[in-house]
Amino acid sequence: MKRNLWATFVIGIVAFVLMLPLFGAIYTSLRTDNAIASGPFVWEFDHGFTHYKNAMGAAGYDFASFFRNSILISSGTLILTTLISLPAAYSIVRLGFGGAWLLRIALALRILPAVFFIIPFYKLFTNLGMVDSIRGLVLANTFVNVTLALLIFSSSIKELPYEIEEAALVDGASVFRILRSIIFPLMGPGVAAVGVLTFIFSWSDYLFAVVLSSSEATPVTVGAANFVTSYGVRWGDISAAVTLSILPPLIFATLAQKYLVKGLSSGAIKG
Amino acid sequence: MTRQGKDKASAFVLAAPLLILLCVLVIWPIYLGIRTSLSNDLLSEFEITPAGISNYRAVISEPNFWNALRFTIIFAIVVTIFEGVLGFLLALAFDRKFPGKRTLFSMVLVPIMIAPSLMAVMYRLILNENIGIIPGFLQNFGWDISIYDQKYIFYTLVILDAIQYTSFAFLLIYAGLQNIPQEIYESAAIDGAKYHQVVLRITLPILKPALAIIAMLRLIDSFRTFDTIYILTGGGPGTTTQTIGIYIYKTAFITGDFGMASAASVILVILLAPFMPKIIKQFRLDVK
Repeated sequence: MKRNLWATFVIGIVAFVLMLPLFGAIYTSLRTDNAIASGPFVWEFDHGFTHYKNAMGAAGYDFASFFRNSILISSGTLILTTLISLPAAYSIVRLGFGGAWLLRIALALRILPAVFFIIPFYKLFTNLGMVDSIRGLVLANTFVNVTLALLIFSSSIKELPYEIEEAALVDGASVFRILRSIIFPLMGPGVAAVGVLTFIFSWSDYLFAVVLSSSEATPVTVGAANFVTSYGVRWGDISAAVTLSILPPLIFATLAQKYLVKGLSSGAIKG
Repeated sequence: MTRQGKDKASAFVLAAPLLILLCVLVIWPIYLGIRTSLSNDLLSEFEITPAGISNYRAVISEPNFWNALRFTIIFAIVVTIFEGVLGFLLALAFDRKFPGKRTLFSMVLVPIMIAPSLMAVMYRLILNENIGIIPGFLQNFGWDISIYDQKYIFYTLVILDAIQYTSFAFLLIYAGLQNIPQEIYESAAIDGAKYHQVVLRITLPILKPALAIIAMLRLIDSFRTFDTIYILTGGGPGTTTQTIGIYIYKTAFITGDFGMASAASVILVILLAPFMPKIIKQFRLDVK
């Protein structure tokens, strides 16, 4: 068999370029302030992880609370999106509710520029008293992710054999019972795909966060971007904060890579 | 496979949360957006008064709106083609056995998992004129160029967009490649076809429908570009890299003119509307 080492080499270079920004951030976060200021290739590493300690609170930044907000927003969105989309997808696919037009409306939403919604959302959330709250950002991100979830769930429900449900129905099980005891356990891969994608996309949200949060509910994306403008010269601390912010979705998605790939190619769509 | 009769009620109950979400977060906001676009609604003034279509007139006669729209369209088309070609070549390179394939696959997917805004902060770090590794590296070759220079900024933004999004194009194209039966390649090999002939005459035609969907998705997404460019350039120098998203955001939250920003959003949707049915059809959604 040919070893195809050229492919390893060429793709290795591509992978290096794609990861260069992350390598750059990790590299800077581990160097001393003195080395950072003296030029990009001055090798002097900080063995006490000072920048990481600063980022997590030692220097008085709010970064730890941004981090907590991102975790709450992303997990809240993941749960709410699944709770709304899974029953709806079942209703559309198996019970014929609304049919394809409901999916089409959801897809139309996906095509509309999100920026259309920033002003109405700002007004609506101000009226509801949900500006700068975790609840508000969970709702906004659920709105963003619900299309993808509907498409993935309806395509995975279509793949399930109908016979099991039919047998349960004959035995007198209710629709809700079937959904809970048969569909949900069989939907593991679909739920994992929706979970990992929803987590990544809601962690990545910047537009709604910048409009709908001011301090209490600020997530890491907005926090890190503001960090650059307010503490522009503290590149070591900024790099450490960004590196930490990237880790949760990166670890989650790498562990669930199979589902990420499946979800993206079956939903063929991203939030 | 539709069950009739008494299941109607449960079907409605199961879909109810989705319907409520669509009403509260779609229909009501669309109404609010249109109403705002017809009002004098300034952040600086408490009172909101009817404005008729004056906001629409103002947007249409505003060169910045059209410049932003033009920049957005050109940027979307350029990055879609660039990332499509790169993603296709990368998928072809991956479509064989080679050492380190699994590790490299995971590495190539990493940009998908990174928030565009955090990517933008890292770009600012590695491109910084004083401390960035890219300018530092280029200086070794005597290239003392500013990457934010107006002459290069468009290309810089295209390359940075490609670093973030080529992985998406790659992943979807690669998934398509896996669906092509191996026998087709084997019979082509028996007939003595060269590799480039196989790619051009077999792989590309089979992938064509998938490539169309991927191109459309990238086009839609790059049309929404906001985070990266906003954090990197703020739409500058001047307004040269202002996307339509940045224009609307700035009009609303920096200038403080909600009425005009809403009118711009409505005009944008009206301009996109003719393309929507065609795009939706491409996805071949069905419930069977």
